Amino acid sequence: MSDPIVAVEHLTLAYPGDRGRPAVSVLTDVSLNMARGGALTLVGPSGSGKSTLLRCLNRLEEPTAGTVRFDGRDVRSLDPRELRRRAALVMQTPVLFEGTVRDNLWLRPAGTPGDFSEARLSEVLIEVGLEPLFLDRDAATLSGGEKQRVTIARALLRDPQALLLDEPTSALDPPNAALVVETISRAREARRLSIVAVTHQPELVRHLGGSLLFLVRGRVEAYERLDGGASAIGDARLQAFLAGESPRAVPAKP
Amino acid sequence: MSGASSVIDLSLGQLGLALLLVGVVVLVSLRQGLGLERDLLVGSVRTIVQLYLVGLILAAVFSAARWYLVVLVVAVMTAVATQAAVSRLAKPIPGGHQIAALALTVSTAVTLAYVIGVVVRVRPWYEPQYVIPIAGMILGNAMTSAALAGDRLQGDLRSRAPEVETMLALGFSGREAVQPLVRAALRAAMIPTVNGMMTVGVVQLPGMMTGQILAGSSPLVAIGYQIMVMFMLAAGTAMASLLFVRLAAGRYLTAAHQLRRYLL
Ligand SMILES: Nc1ncnc2c1ncn2[C@@H]1O[C@H](COP(=O)(O)OP(=O)(O)O)[C@@H](O)[C@H]1O
Ligand SMILES: [Mg+2]
Repeated sequence: MSDPIVAVEHLTLAYPGDRGRPAVSVLTDVSLNMARGGALTLVGPSGSGKSTLLRCLNRLEEPTAGTVRFDGRDVRSLDPRELRRRAALVMQTPVLFEGTVRDNLWLRPAGTPGDFSEARLSEVLIEVGLEPLFLDRDAATLSGGEKQRVTIARALLRDPQALLLDEPTSALDPPNAALVVETISRAREARRLSIVAVTHQPELVRHLGGSLLFLVRGRVEAYERLDGGASAIGDARLQAFLAGESPRAVPAKP
Repeated sequence: MSGASSVIDLSLGQLGLALLLVGVVVLVSLRQGLGLERDLLVGSVRTIVQLYLVGLILAAVFSAARWYLVVLVVAVMTAVATQAAVSRLAKPIPGGHQIAALALTVSTAVTLAYVIGVVVRVRPWYEPQYVIPIAGMILGNAMTSAALAGDRLQGDLRSRAPEVETMLALGFSGREAVQPLVRAALRAAMIPTVNGMMTVGVVQLPGMMTGQILAGSSPLVAIGYQIMVMFMLAAGTAMASLLFVRLAAGRYLTAAHQLRRYLL
């Protein structure tokens, strides 16, 4: 693949064991590639290392071995703070800080480049499907779906090249989840964003297309392209992926 | 008239009478089935042995009045306080021992130097009668506040890790991301001292003042010292907890602005 935005080679990650116990291996020899503007969905049973892999991409985690490249550069050669602005992470449980929605959108380290004007804040809120009136709302009073859309707005405001989503809809009820899926799909088209998402939400997977990577106990069990939508790998196989069963059990379409 | 002439020296017989008070507690423990008799006995024996030993050592240091002996005693006290502060933490902090030693040594040395050299102006500076009890008070309070601050920081890091990581993901430095937790831990550590300043003398007489009065000092002299001690403890605890929390927070962060979650 020419000029990928994210490239991972032979990534291994282990946590040091507690008090002399052997190290806990979380990821083993993971490699992947994602084209600029592309999409990648990480699936697998709970505890298989999806979040950890995602967090390696913006260097919230430090691999024990292997390399992670972002936009052609080894992430270890980038300032982590800069990397995290360019690869914005949205977590499973939205974290909003005390204050209004405006305070939360504004929240940034001194010297962060970008337009944080009132007009821009309103624009981004509209982009995630919220009224500009929300700027003055106390963040604590928002519903779960609204909170998640504010965290997506907070990420988009920084004009990231890539969006890293960790189960962005799993804490939401179906209508709110649908709104968030729609928000993500729309932002992606409008901005040519690259997206890596951990999700078991079939609609989100279908909207994103790209590739699917199935992790089991920290190893890549299957890694397939979804070109032309989910139909390319077949519904039974996609269902197996999303249900967290091994897709090996379902034969690939010839 | 020297007040000291009125001090009643307690004889062994009188201490034996005081021990009867513990005997009453042992009886209560036996009758109520509290199961505390053993601990009470061991505690009483330890109280007697430890205090006598300390008394003997202090008497020797006082009569020798050599600066290096005084420094040695304060160093041993610091080591013991360090151990006690670390053992009070619910979960060990990596490198906690060195951090506590550094925080307690620096805060005690600075506060003690100011009090001895600038405020009280003790001559010679190592006069054990002043240095040792004052160092003891600073250390005791510094130890408690450092442990309080450390406990709070650890608990908050565990419960507020998502907040910290959200800050990191937004491009904040590790230091910026833990700042709200550092602030909360410092407040928690400082509150007992500040509250103590609010109620001192009203609710109960502080131990040092009680001791001075019992030893024959005029209450007005004792009050002068107590006021100084309150200010001194405020400074000592603030410095100790600030140093300890800052250094401890650093142990949970990496140079690449990552939270070392596996330590939590
Ligand atoms: N801080 C940590 N210390 C030790 N082990 C951890 C830590 N965080 C995650 N793990 C382990 O790593 C594995 C993968 O976790 P995670 O990436 O969160 O999985 P997933 O997102 O797929 O559910 C799990 O077995 C988990 O227990
Ligand atoms: Mg996860």
